[in-house]
Amino acid sequence: MQLLGLILLLLGGGALAALSQRLHRNAPRWLALGVIAAAALYLLAIPVGAAEQAAWIPRFGISLILAMDGLSYAMVALTLFLGLIAIVSSWSEVNESPGFFQFNLLWTLAGVVGVFTALDLFLFFVFWEVMLVPMYFLIAIWGHEARAYAAMKFFLFTQISGLLMLFAMLTLVYLNYQASGVITFAYADLLHAEIDPGYAFLLMLGFFVAFVVKLPGVPFHTWLPDAHTQAPTAGSVILAGILLKTGAYGLLRFVVPLFPEAALDFRWPAMLLGAVSVIYGGYLAFSQSDFKRLVAYSSISHMGFVLLGVFAWNTVAVQGAVVQMVAHGFSTAALFMMAGALQQRLHTREMGQMGGLWLKAPRMGAVALFFVAASLGMPGLGNFVGEFMVLVGAFQVDVPLTIAAAIGIIIAAVYALSLMQRSFQGEPNPAVAAMPDFGFRELSVMILMMVALVWLGVYPETLLNLSAPVVAQLGFTP
Amino acid sequence: MEGLWLIPALPLAGFLILFVTEGRLPNRAVAFIGAGSVGLSAVAALFAGIDFLEQGGAPRAEHLWTWMAAGPFEVAVGLYLDGLSLVMVGVITGVGFLIHLYATGYMAGEDGYSRFFAYMNLFVFAMLMLVLGDNLLLLFLGGEGVGLCSYLLIGFFHQDSANGYAARKAFVVTRVGDTFMAVGLFLLFRELGTLDIQAAMAAAGEAWPDGSNLATAIALLLLGGAVGKSAQVPLQTWLPDAMAGPTPVSALIHAATMVTAGVYLIARTHDLFLLSPDAQFAVALVGLVTLFIASFTALTQRDIKRILAYSTMSQIGYMFLALGVGAWSAAIFHLMTHAFFKALLFLSAGSVILALHHEQDIFRMGGLWRRLPVPFWCMVIGSAALAALPLTSGFYSKDIILLTSFDYGSGGAWFWGLAALAAFMTSLYTSRMMFIAFFGEMRTEPHDRSGVNMWLPLVVLAALAIGGGWFGLAPLAGVLPDGGVDAAHHEGAIVWVTALIPILGVLLGYLIFGGKQLSVRALVESKAAQGVARFWDGGWGFDALYDRLVVRPFGFLARINKADAVDLIYAFIAAFARRLNAVAVRSQTGKLRWYAANMALGLILALLLVLLVPGT
Repeated sequence: MQLLGLILLLLGGGALAALSQRLHRNAPRWLALGVIAAAALYLLAIPVGAAEQAAWIPRFGISLILAMDGLSYAMVALTLFLGLIAIVSSWSEVNESPGFFQFNLLWTLAGVVGVFTALDLFLFFVFWEVMLVPMYFLIAIWGHEARAYAAMKFFLFTQISGLLMLFAMLTLVYLNYQASGVITFAYADLLHAEIDPGYAFLLMLGFFVAFVVKLPGVPFHTWLPDAHTQAPTAGSVILAGILLKTGAYGLLRFVVPLFPEAALDFRWPAMLLGAVSVIYGGYLAFSQSDFKRLVAYSSISHMGFVLLGVFAWNTVAVQGAVVQMVAHGFSTAALFMMAGALQQRLHTREMGQMGGLWLKAPRMGAVALFFVAASLGMPGLGNFVGEFMVLVGAFQVDVPLTIAAAIGIIIAAVYALSLMQRSFQGEPNPAVAAMPDFGFRELSVMILMMVALVWLGVYPETLLNLSAPVVAQLGFTP
Repeated sequence: MEGLWLIPALPLAGFLILFVTEGRLPNRAVAFIGAGSVGLSAVAALFAGIDFLEQGGAPRAEHLWTWMAAGPFEVAVGLYLDGLSLVMVGVITGVGFLIHLYATGYMAGEDGYSRFFAYMNLFVFAMLMLVLGDNLLLLFLGGEGVGLCSYLLIGFFHQDSANGYAARKAFVVTRVGDTFMAVGLFLLFRELGTLDIQAAMAAAGEAWPDGSNLATAIALLLLGGAVGKSAQVPLQTWLPDAMAGPTPVSALIHAATMVTAGVYLIARTHDLFLLSPDAQFAVALVGLVTLFIASFTALTQRDIKRILAYSTMSQIGYMFLALGVGAWSAAIFHLMTHAFFKALLFLSAGSVILALHHEQDIFRMGGLWRRLPVPFWCMVIGSAALAALPLTSGFYSKDIILLTSFDYGSGGAWFWGLAALAAFMTSLYTSRMMFIAFFGEMRTEPHDRSGVNMWLPLVVLAALAIGGGWFGLAPLAGVLPDGGVDAAHHEGAIVWVTALIPILGVLLGYLIFGGKQLSVRALVESKAAQGVARFWDGGWGFDALYDRLVVRPFGFLARINKADAVDLIYAFIAAFARRLNAVAVRSQTGKLRWYAANMALGLILALLLVLLVPGT
């Protein structure tokens, strides 16, 4: 029960962190840090391919099935890594009920780890909800000025789309029961369910919408800019770095293998949504004057590549999508941390009130420049590998949509460099008197992310080898 | 000999050291690391070159590791050295080292000394990857890398927004070109299943007949990438603005190396262009149009760096013309001689600018020849080579280009005529620059404070600018289809006319700007001439066109949709739900009689439904 242990460790650690606030107000963050570090060490001891099963609600064919193949391993590793980063990055940001804060953080992470490992549809749905509710609290309680609105919007979008998924899930189980006479929520059994193609298409759509809302793809994206902008830094890091990936993961793990024919029929519209997201996200990113909101819209653009890649349906593109998921996790999380660091120092996110910050904080400038370069797809860094592989694969399937997405890369250069210009370069803003540069804590976290992105950009084989067998199994063409 | 990887790795190491130390090293150490890493890289290149020639010019490949692999898509990080890449490596590390050395003096006293050399080293690394990479994706990496460094160095003095604008313009415009190239790579991979250059070129020759549409499409897409990097029409607009960077940057990036990337790309993939006469003609045409436009524009500029920038555009135009008309080796030959004399011109101009406290307007210079002898004589040599006066390096390379274009098909005379006219203009604007800046009365007092690290590179480059063309370019012989520089032979009156044209240009230049025997005042002050000058100065309308077609519409769209129109859908749903709620709230009146009446009404309706609708 190693995988269950990992999740329980996070859940239990969260509960302890909440209680530990009574001992000392700094206890929760140290405890949370320790829990994540322990979980990360624990993960190293779990082999790729671990799988475990136990009965849970046998009457309805619901069991505790957890498994971790290469793809899940990569995603869980990313989750714990960014979880650690999130705790360190919000080290001095949270003063109000730190215990409950760390509780929510750890429970969200537990939910995410569950989502990445559950192979029982009902269990998956439970974890899907577990990661949602604490995230709602993170935004609603520790968020910025419009947090109530943003949190509610986030909750409604995810909840309504989650309901759609639940409905599709129950119908799938029912149809499978009618065909085979067995009630089961087990992923492995449902893979072979024989469903009428008309139903399959509708059920596929139910899952698809739930995951694309999470991803998010245009036109279901509008919760994201508000949620990201209003969330506290740790919330944004987890939201952008990990939670969006659950949408992409869901497409790969459920939509494609459960409904291969229906999903293949839906290929062109899905790729279209991907390409539109790339362009529209980039275009709106350029329109923004709020640092954090700009980064949020750029996320939509980057995740559009994932959608495009998954539905391009060949190994190159899907592997590219996997790299893009991980690389985007690092680059965007780092930019959100930069936004948080700036807000903590300047008490604003408006770029109109920044400018020339490089002179005051050259380290922050150099770090921002690095992640801006990553974000605009500079070769040698992870995002480039992901985007290029997605485009190479997509081009074999649909030339116009690929070209449209490639134009998105030009737009990425425009918004990313304008972010750099308006915040760190240009004439120094006289209203900004002095600004402390990155200290040891912030810098070391950033360096970790930089090393990760360079590694992904220069030797993505580490990740590609991990996910290759999985991608081959999911049913994509070579 | 193993160890090709050392050539790019040394500048990369220099960059990493300077990056990690965050500018805490003393300037002497920074200079040592910054220039030294490139110097060592040049030594490594020298050894590789000697080794290469001793082996009889056999290409060498070095596989380092698998970069990315998925399904049929597999790209390696591997290096490939043949005569073509050897020439490029020699120019990049050799000229690059001299410019780095010069910059140790030029940048002394500027803030961000360490940052400057970090960027410069990163640039040299990227450029070396571009010419040494054995596959097109590494070439792409190098291209984007030099684009990034160019962005960083143009905007080096980042507190000035104008520099930032020029830097972003350069990056975005070249990225438009890169995107064409990327699409070309997608298509190439789809058709041939590889991005390895040697494998792809061999496969292309087998798979496609002459004049194949696919070959044309891919060649044109690659040309799109080449015109972006090399500042050719229609993506030339970024180069004049790029002069915002410090002068050694202009010498290294915007004259000697990065802008030649497009020429290298086309020469490297020449098999594709040979398959497609149409694409090759397009290359020649792009070169011709660019060299023509740029040589005229240079005549109206006042800023010495902008004059040199336009001259770079036009000289690279000659290289494109050469590639297009099949003078492959001459294109690379001119690339090399141009690197010598253009680096020399920019660095000497830099010395002048520094001595005049950052004055760049040639009309505020004048009479400097006595006071700044070293920069002056170096400028004279560089200008002579730029104008292609006989016996200078530029003469040999440009001569072959002009003569080969004369032999080019039925339109050869036209190609020759226009290129020769531009050559005449080149010597005219070059002599204008020299006579106005260095002769006549002195308008600004110079203070020369250059040390040995600044004049030594000038002297070496001056020697190369004269003698760099005397011995041809042996390593190219086996690589390019025309059999090397020495293979070209031309005879007849055309040879003499071609050689004479630059001399005539200089003579006219002397008569107008030197001895002032000829006055062009009436011409220059006429309304028509002023209008033409304005048109040329604005880059022949390209900037205005792009501004109207792309920049402003995009800005407008961005402004009107900042709040994201898609969100209106959800806002509408939310508002609708609230309105429903308001209606429902209104029904809750608290009057018992009202509730009872509604209940009775509902009951009646339900009963009616049961009675009237059959089957319920």
